[in-house]
Amino acid sequence: MLKLVALLMGVCLCQPPQSVVRLSVAEAAAEVDRLFERSWHSAGVRPAALSADEEFVRRLYLDLAGRIPAVSEVRQFLGDVRADKRSVLVESLLDSPAFVRHFTILWRNALIPEAFSDPANRQLVPGFEAWLWSQFSSGVPYDRMVRDLLTVRLDTAADGGAALRAASSPAAFYVIRQQRPENLAAGTSRSFLGVRLDCAQCHDHPFDRWKQGQFWSLAAFYSGLSPLDDEVQMRTSAVERRDSRRISIPDRDQTVEAAFLEGELPDWSTNRSAREVLADWVTSGRNPWFSRMAANRVWALFMGQGIVHPVDDFSENNPASHPEVLQLLADQLVAHDFDLKFLVRTITATRVYQLSSRQTDDSQSDPLHFARASVRGLTPEQLFDSLAEATGYYQPYRTENPFVISAETPRATFLELFRDEGDSPLQKETTILQALAMMNGEFVDAATSLENSQTLSGIVDFPLMTDEERLETLFLAALSRRPSASERAAMLQYVQQSEAAGAALADVFWALLNSSEFMLNH
Amino acid sequence: MTMQRISRRRLSGLSGLSLLGASLSGWLPRLAAQVQQSGQRSGRSCILLWMPGGPSQMETFDPHPGHENGGPTKSIETSVPGIRIAEHLPKLAGQMQDLALIRSMTTKEGDHSRATYYLRTGYLPQGPLTYPALGSLVGRALQREEADLPACISINPFRALSPSAFTAGFLGPAWSPLVVASETSADAEVSFRVRNLKPAARLSGGEVDERLRLLGVLEQSFLADRPDVPGRSHVQSYERAVRMMKSESVEAFELEQEDEVLREAYGRNPFGQGCLLARRLVERGVPFVEVSLSGLTDGAGPGWDTHANNFEAVGDLCGVLDPAWSTLLTDLRQRGLLENTLVVWMGEFGRTPKINENSGRDHWPGSWSAVLGGGGIRGGQVWGAVSDDGLEVRENPVRVPDLMATICRALGLDPAATNLSNIGRPIPLADHGAAAIEQLLV
Repeated sequence: MLKLVALLMGVCLCQPPQSVVRLSVAEAAAEVDRLFERSWHSAGVRPAALSADEEFVRRLYLDLAGRIPAVSEVRQFLGDVRADKRSVLVESLLDSPAFVRHFTILWRNALIPEAFSDPANRQLVPGFEAWLWSQFSSGVPYDRMVRDLLTVRLDTAADGGAALRAASSPAAFYVIRQQRPENLAAGTSRSFLGVRLDCAQCHDHPFDRWKQGQFWSLAAFYSGLSPLDDEVQMRTSAVERRDSRRISIPDRDQTVEAAFLEGELPDWSTNRSAREVLADWVTSGRNPWFSRMAANRVWALFMGQGIVHPVDDFSENNPASHPEVLQLLADQLVAHDFDLKFLVRTITATRVYQLSSRQTDDSQSDPLHFARASVRGLTPEQLFDSLAEATGYYQPYRTENPFVISAETPRATFLELFRDEGDSPLQKETTILQALAMMNGEFVDAATSLENSQTLSGIVDFPLMTDEERLETLFLAALSRRPSASERAAMLQYVQQSEAAGAALADVFWALLNSSEFMLNH
Repeated sequence: MTMQRISRRRLSGLSGLSLLGASLSGWLPRLAAQVQQSGQRSGRSCILLWMPGGPSQMETFDPHPGHENGGPTKSIETSVPGIRIAEHLPKLAGQMQDLALIRSMTTKEGDHSRATYYLRTGYLPQGPLTYPALGSLVGRALQREEADLPACISINPFRALSPSAFTAGFLGPAWSPLVVASETSADAEVSFRVRNLKPAARLSGGEVDERLRLLGVLEQSFLADRPDVPGRSHVQSYERAVRMMKSESVEAFELEQEDEVLREAYGRNPFGQGCLLARRLVERGVPFVEVSLSGLTDGAGPGWDTHANNFEAVGDLCGVLDPAWSTLLTDLRQRGLLENTLVVWMGEFGRTPKINENSGRDHWPGSWSAVLGGGGIRGGQVWGAVSDDGLEVRENPVRVPDLMATICRALGLDPAATNLSNIGRPIPLADHGAAAIEQLLV
């Protein structure tokens, strides 16, 4: 096994591209499932059952639309008798604006994770989101999107800073890294190649093969940029020397020439800027780091954890759990011209994605096996948009840029409180302040008061429903499922014994919204 | 195929399930008993007086009268012969026997954001590594198992300079500071509240308990088959939140229980009353409390950033700092808490020794002051010295990791003890190469 991993990791860029057969979604998904079955079998793992429709519809909405489904959407899906209704739903969600919006947020988190830690950087977030939005809404292939990012014009001296002020720009990727060549080298290799070179900035990597010289050779591609030491400079006088290809290693009497990760020297004969040459190499279909990293990232978005985990840490000491699956997805991504939706279709069509999160055997407990669906934290945006969906809260937004939200809205307050510096959604933790806000805060309180809640008052006041039907509707609104027999009994007893059935239903709704089942994806 | 990976943060079992599932009334009396017992606390605590913006060393603990860089600020005698501090801190001067002044802090970080991160975490911001704030590190290391208040409480933080320097970083949200903000009423009464601590007024106590019982039903059925970290953490933090809501320890926030004369002595302002709250929290066993002095009113900006009008502005802030801090020391001493409570005073950097054209001082990381006092510290001394013009450290330079190591040691912690970080690398409490200042430690 390790030998195979080493072999896969060691693929050299100079090697000619292997001929890969282009598979259909169904074929690729079947192949992934076949590989998993083989690995479960050899590891003695008994996978969880296939998810029920209720479980699946909630997960799919959260993963593709960034929110839970409405009651009507759940009912429609549960009532659909077509055999292929799961893939039909995938297609319809992939076509929705909600998908573009959700993917925008996910990729913003992936590409500029540090943006929220500095107040100056925060201003750049809406522009970055608008840029991502335009990429996803027009279906730009992933390689072209990354190429755009890596080659965006940054000459503020030439254009008076127009590019940086643009309503839609990937410039935040550079600005949060202060436009420093070393930060950009680390960010590029980590975000797009899955290689953590950071350690090699100051010394040869202690556990890996990266040498300090290799790090700075990559940084040399960015040596034409002037580091942003203050904001004024960023706005007005950042000049890029497009042909700069050398950089000196700080505190060492040595300069190095730009070279790709494995040491190959670029072809400079084409009169292209250093960043353009770098972008060509990074985004090439022949660059195995690039396609593997992309496939691993998309896998992690849907499965909670990468086949290489952490998602951006490909190294000999951190082998892939299922290298053949990863290679298959990477190859197919290239074969399908870097269409991310192809990966989304394939992954969501696999049995491994569609497993239940309910653990039925101890062998399913290690997330490394992907033998049951993971239980994962929501992004703050997923959480608030789900709360809004469940409670019938109308979200006003600004038409000129839906990503600019005023700091005073309930949404902004929520996003701030639930913003997580954390890493893996499988390790998501809740703070006391978050718990208090959900339990006693104004927003949830209004949503669970008979006077103010759309959903609740609609259900309580609707004359033709029995208490049991009211209960069931509240469950569908919050958890996208009907209550179990024991839940039904406990809740119904509570409602029917109360003096005011409306207030008792409000209590049930409060409990539903505060449950981990509501606040997590599973 | 089998590869073992260890969950980074272990959570203490499924205790939450039992609490939420069981009748809440059952464990309330038990909590009350615990609170009474915890009156005699044994552990150590730390109070950090955080000065956002970077206080001027020249107008506080390292005055240079007679030199043009010293400006108009005079120095005064203290209770320790030979040690003189700025005239703005007369009450504190009387407590010098319990304070150790460090006059040789030195860093290269003159940017608010980076410097704030550095001084509050002990590390420079570095790519994907999210370092925990000192309070989270200390809180986690010193928290008692049965505590019903959070391990780290931050009073009136001014976070805008570096929001990530106010988080638990890779320790995880369970250790993030509980933020408490002051509110000053029209008649200048300062009070503190934890947001959302009280359920809506229309709900009776019985109804709140019923809601929690229903929640327990849901949690039990969901978590029984899904024993993963996110769900367990969710229940655990609800349990902690409920425990706090119901705990008698939250009476710590009710400052009106205090003697009027004492409240007056601390100063009737957000910082003064914040210091009083800090004492009340430490008294109830909270291992780390920080109080920020950002300005003279609620929610004011980083007042120590005195680029203009430095002398008057620092004088005004010291008018708040001096009575609050000196009363805090006296109060802790009288209650027998001082020997176990370390009090730290610092900002992210100092101010330029040269006075600018606006009678201001600008950012100066090269040579500035910080102060340690109380538990674990040998007071009545000065460590390090700067040149006559204040521009250079002349003796015993102290780097940030050295300061962190000294704080750890004063609290009985090993600075080399590590936590596993978000990138899987063990990170020591104080950075590699840190050397505690032995001469300042008891």
